[in-house]
Amino acid sequence: MSSLSSSLRLFSPKLRQTFPKSPFLPSKPFFFSSPISFQRLPRSPLSEPLRAQQQHQRQQREAEVDLSVLPPRLQEIIALFQTVAEPKAKYQQLLHYGAQLPPLDPRFKTDDHRVRGCVSQVWVRAFRDADDHAAVRFEADSDSALTKGLAALLVFGLSGYPATVVASVPPGFVHLLGLQQSLTPSRNNGFLNMLKLMQQKALQLYSEVGDSEINGVSESKGSNSGAKDGVLDDKNTILGEKTDKTGKDSIFGEVSSANWSGDSLPFGDLMVDGHGMNSADGVQKSSNGGIGGRRERIRQRLERELSPVELEVEDISYQHAGHAGVRGNGDGETHFNLRVVSKEFEGKSLVKRHRLVYDLLQEELQSGLHALSIDAKTPSEA
Amino acid sequence: MMASFCHFPASPPHQSLSKLLSPLRRPRPHPFLPNVLCIFNPNRNRIRAGSQFRRLSLSSSSIALPPEELDSSSLGDLTRPDFPILHQEVNGFNLVYLDNAATSQKPTAVLKALNKYYESYNSNVHRAIHSLSAEATDEYEQARTKVAAFINASKPKEIVFTRNATEAINLVAYSWGLSNLRSGDEILLTIAEHHSAIVPWQLVAQKTGASLKFVGLTKEEVPDIEQLKELLSVKTKIVVIHHVSNVLGSALPIEDVVAWSHSVGAKVLVDACQSIPHMVVDVQKLDPDFLVASSHKMCGPTGVGFLYGKSELLSAMPPFLGGGEMIADVFQDYSTFAEPPSRFEAGTPAIGEAIGLGAAIDYLMGIGMQRIHDYEKELANYLYLSLLAIPNVRIYGPAPSETVHRASLCSFNVENIHPTDIATILDKQHGVAIRSGHHCAQPLHRSLGISASARASLYFYNNKKEIDVFIRALKDTIDFFISFQ
Repeated sequence: MSSLSSSLRLFSPKLRQTFPKSPFLPSKPFFFSSPISFQRLPRSPLSEPLRAQQQHQRQQREAEVDLSVLPPRLQEIIALFQTVAEPKAKYQQLLHYGAQLPPLDPRFKTDDHRVRGCVSQVWVRAFRDADDHAAVRFEADSDSALTKGLAALLVFGLSGYPATVVASVPPGFVHLLGLQQSLTPSRNNGFLNMLKLMQQKALQLYSEVGDSEINGVSESKGSNSGAKDGVLDDKNTILGEKTDKTGKDSIFGEVSSANWSGDSLPFGDLMVDGHGMNSADGVQKSSNGGIGGRRERIRQRLERELSPVELEVEDISYQHAGHAGVRGNGDGETHFNLRVVSKEFEGKSLVKRHRLVYDLLQEELQSGLHALSIDAKTPSEA
Repeated sequence: MMASFCHFPASPPHQSLSKLLSPLRRPRPHPFLPNVLCIFNPNRNRIRAGSQFRRLSLSSSSIALPPEELDSSSLGDLTRPDFPILHQEVNGFNLVYLDNAATSQKPTAVLKALNKYYESYNSNVHRAIHSLSAEATDEYEQARTKVAAFINASKPKEIVFTRNATEAINLVAYSWGLSNLRSGDEILLTIAEHHSAIVPWQLVAQKTGASLKFVGLTKEEVPDIEQLKELLSVKTKIVVIHHVSNVLGSALPIEDVVAWSHSVGAKVLVDACQSIPHMVVDVQKLDPDFLVASSHKMCGPTGVGFLYGKSELLSAMPPFLGGGEMIADVFQDYSTFAEPPSRFEAGTPAIGEAIGLGAAIDYLMGIGMQRIHDYEKELANYLYLSLLAIPNVRIYGPAPSETVHRASLCSFNVENIHPTDIATILDKQHGVAIRSGHHCAQPLHRSLGISASARASLYFYNNKKEIDVFIRALKDTIDFFISFQ
């Protein structure tokens, strides 16, 4: 068995040049490429019949994925899987990837990092690349070897790319691997939820809003049942005091250990716009008097719409100068701290307040404003 | 040295194991295993929480063998042709369906009954005058009578059709529970109950101020009956208890539990989901106040289940769901209600499905529940033995013995391999369908110290050959993962 896995390691990523629809390598290379002669075991009833292979090939052909939106490293991984014909060998390759994943630091094995909808326990962590602040890196772990393998694919395939690239990866790519991974959205789809959580966390890193201010409660639609949280979670009591056992419509108040639904991120849409895939392509000037004066425009907009009692707009773009997302906007005006005290925020949750501000500054977000750090209070709170 | 049970050099595994258990071959010493038949030792403490993994070990006590011959035309072989769904390939392999505790397959007789209903006499029941409706109503009420006869209820009106057992339990919780429980009252359950038997009572307890008490497991991994007796008190108002556990495979002495509960004035609700499909259940003998089951686990369609309730209890209970059918007269600001069972059957029921359930009961009665039970006992022992022989496999629940009969299911874990991994590869690489997860029994898993388990569960249309395929596939799967560790 170990000789098999070492043969698999010989497959280098350089094979990514072609994306074969049908495997171009015979399924027996492992046995015939070695100088030592092997006695092929008689074909046992457990080995894979031809019909299943054809089924896999059909699935791959049916998967319509635009490969160009996938990060290069992920494309390499896909190519590698496509050179492996037998499903059993594919699973071995998957396990092999999982074995390469370094264990996750236990302090990250928290609810905030747990993927909902896995019968096994899966944790995912996203953090900024130390060298390249626009890039996201991931770490993950699982107690299930196959899930760990899938997590490893995602970790290796997606790490080191900007959040927007990560967020645009379509789940359908997994069909190309030929693993018969289901993509039916359901609370039990570990792979799908893993990818979504990674994408959310990547975008979250770029929202500039602190983690503690985000709760996945009031905006969550179709949340996964908290019942899949991992049975050994100490927060559960026999009497079911679990506050994050949410149904679709129930709201249990602000839960700071985020009960991510996997479906909605409060600022997700806005942030994708705000970052703009074209950060490397240079500046998009806003139609409103060019790049200068953004601070002034923000002030005016907020003053007009929110009639704030207090308003502070601080340009902190200098703190972010030099990372890829900013490069196109070298003149600053990309990151701001906002402090707004307004009666308009009364009765609104933190999430709704931020959304309100973002909505008002849409134009700026689409013309080079990168991120906002918002402190939104009502007059009584200030 | 105790060799693994299945490593017989020359003969194919399924034959050798069957022969070993066959009464035709009386106990002559086998070269490897001198006391081959003396497997079950009721005294041996096999179960330790945590990391005890099994070795095959023998003792000198023995078990009587089942009287029927275990030859090639077993009940499984005889009934298999009735189930078209079993004859297919998944992932290129013949399907081996071992997830019957989750849901059972349906024989053609049931499919035909469903079809016939929709093709010939589909019509709303209890309402209209015309012939189609009369026929539908007849068949629907006949199905009710069949269910009553199946469990030996005294009258058909003690059977309330629901959507499934879960809804039936909710019915009792919200209707009986809300009007009978108050602050300080206790609801007694076991730690091994299905979520459907726990959660409705949690919800109702919150509303009424009652509290839930749980009976734990013994070291043999069965609910602790002695502890149950101790926990019973005048404060106990209802005992909610399973008949057969969907994870442990154990059966509880319902007659005794009911007798003890009644003596302190507590009612008993029996969850018979895993017992009714597999054995004779006689509510006159067991004497529960309420009993619930689902059609889909007993060869019937999904979408229908039933609640059995003693008529004096049902008559005193307020409605659960409101609507048509369950009323007598409706005015603007109040309504009067029908007698049970109608009182608890609001709206148009799953008519075709109830009739399908009736057809399933006919089919099962045609075989005979005792015969099904006896056959499954063989399967249960064979499955347990075969699993036991695999190194590093830990089975949950009691070991079978003369006094302890297991259901034909095994929940298990393999050391260092996640059950989901096992189930995935069994499916993708072998076409064997088992379940992995907590089986709707999270408190039980927590008390066993695990987060999930794998479970293979059989029904009367499975056979020993399929168990052999499963065991071979499991070993192959285990090897697959071990090679990566």
